[in-house]
Amino acid sequence: MKINDVTIEDTFAEAFTMRVARLVITGRTLGWAREAAVKLTGFATSVIGCKCEAGVERELPDSETPDGRPGVSVLFLTMDKASLPEQLIVRVGQTVLTCPTTACFDGLPDAPDRLPVGKALRVFGDGFQASKVIGGKRYWRIPVMEGEFLIEETFGMLKGVAGGNFLILARDADAALAAAEAAVVAMTGAPGVILPFPGGVVRSGSKVGSKRYTNMIATTNDAFDPTLRAITPSQLPEGVNSVLEIVLDGIDGPSIEAAMRAGIRAACRPGVQTITAGNYGGKLGPHHFHLRKILG
Amino acid sequence: MSDAVTLTLATQPTQTLVADCIAADRFAALGAQEIAALPVVHGGRPATLGAFFEVRGERASVVRITGDCRRVEAIGTGMAGGELVIDGSVGRDVGLAMSGGRIDVRGNAGANTGGAPAGAARGMTGGEIIVRGSVGDDAGARMRRGLLVVTGDGGQGTGKGMIAGTVVVFGKAGPGAGRFLKRGSIVALGEVERPATFGYACTYRPPHVALLLRYLRSRCRVEVAEGQISGRYERYSGDLAELGKGELLRWVGA
Repeated sequence: MKINDVTIEDTFAEAFTMRVARLVITGRTLGWAREAAVKLTGFATSVIGCKCEAGVERELPDSETPDGRPGVSVLFLTMDKASLPEQLIVRVGQTVLTCPTTACFDGLPDAPDRLPVGKALRVFGDGFQASKVIGGKRYWRIPVMEGEFLIEETFGMLKGVAGGNFLILARDADAALAAAEAAVVAMTGAPGVILPFPGGVVRSGSKVGSKRYTNMIATTNDAFDPTLRAITPSQLPEGVNSVLEIVLDGIDGPSIEAAMRAGIRAACRPGVQTITAGNYGGKLGPHHFHLRKILG
Repeated sequence: MSDAVTLTLATQPTQTLVADCIAADRFAALGAQEIAALPVVHGGRPATLGAFFEVRGERASVVRITGDCRRVEAIGTGMAGGELVIDGSVGRDVGLAMSGGRIDVRGNAGANTGGAPAGAARGMTGGEIIVRGSVGDDAGARMRRGLLVVTGDGGQGTGKGMIAGTVVVFGKAGPGAGRFLKRGSIVALGEVERPATFGYACTYRPPHVALLLRYLRSRCRVEVAEGQISGRYERYSGDLAELGKGELLRWVGA
């Protein structure tokens, strides 16, 4: 299969089930909501080192937020049920509570699993906090020097999907970067999806474990490192001198598929030779995204 | 089972009619005849609901009451769920000690709306009462949880002795509003007389008020001006003669 002379390999991306929460952060301006969201989702690229994966899903106009102010929706994923509230309580407490003018709302109101994030953070109010039930939902009002921080008592948790991916194999680093940037633009704002890595792009794809260091759980994906082509069993076709990866996490499989479809099509541009995907033979992750099926 | 139960006042009571049997959640399990046979008290004498109201529909948790109910008292007493719409004005004790659901009064309501039974420590403990008119004295008195919205004026002692919950008054709040408040909020969008035992805290934009007013506008179709949603409010803490964790929020403009 070829798109714009770019070969789409007959392979699949292998992804995993993780727990996901959606937070809606609003502010007096979009700028302040974005500030909080950027801090909240900082250092959350991969569970390998960050214990969580997070990113901005999309920016929300006034009409789509609970309090009628501009906002940002954020997805947050962890490997298990217990660590999601732990991460959210620490991070929301340090980044959203501290950010001027912001409020924090649940973006998964229908999810039956509830995480007591606001309930835990209320104690920052040192007994001066107060709750309000509005439309059947409980909110906590936490007094702060600026005025009040408003946060919903509980946040919904669903089973999400993490580790959707595709690799851009290009003639040189400039072509790979341009293709990756085009893919990110095409996927930005896709509902139910985040790209947790810097600018949505990964340059250091990894393999499981290490050939040399027993304590490493992930090391460089040498089969796709162009500088190691001569000394490892390389999977790079001739003429490929740079590879970049796009990793996608999301609420569900269809959301990731839709974003991958848009991203791969945008990445098929001059200088790109092949689009492929990372997997572990299909034995580790329950979600398989077959590139040709998605694009067919 | 019907979509709604409609009670039409067919025989105007000559004296006070205490109809504390009317509650949306109770009607969800009753047939039309059973509803008509529910006990009421007319002028201190026992009677049945069917002697005054024509009942249409059965086994529904949405109840609509039509007719001039100004002499009918205690509608929605102890209601725990469902929706009760009163098309017109109604007597005292609407939603007395209710704990859930919504009562929507399309007219004025009498004294002690959402209040507590005589001698009881707590008034309403949950649910919502929306009065699209004015209320009598002591509305929301001793409220423990819940929401009372008055689009007109409040009487004397609105929200008196509240333990928690929220009272919103769009018109004049009436003298003694919030006196003996322990916790809870009184949001005054019109004139309000601040009790001497309330202390001024600050002027700010309370985020929960914006959220609440937006909710009232979108879900309950209450007319709310944009300036009231995004506006500034003076916060008075009180009652400092009590616990002092309550608040009177007075709208001061956009």
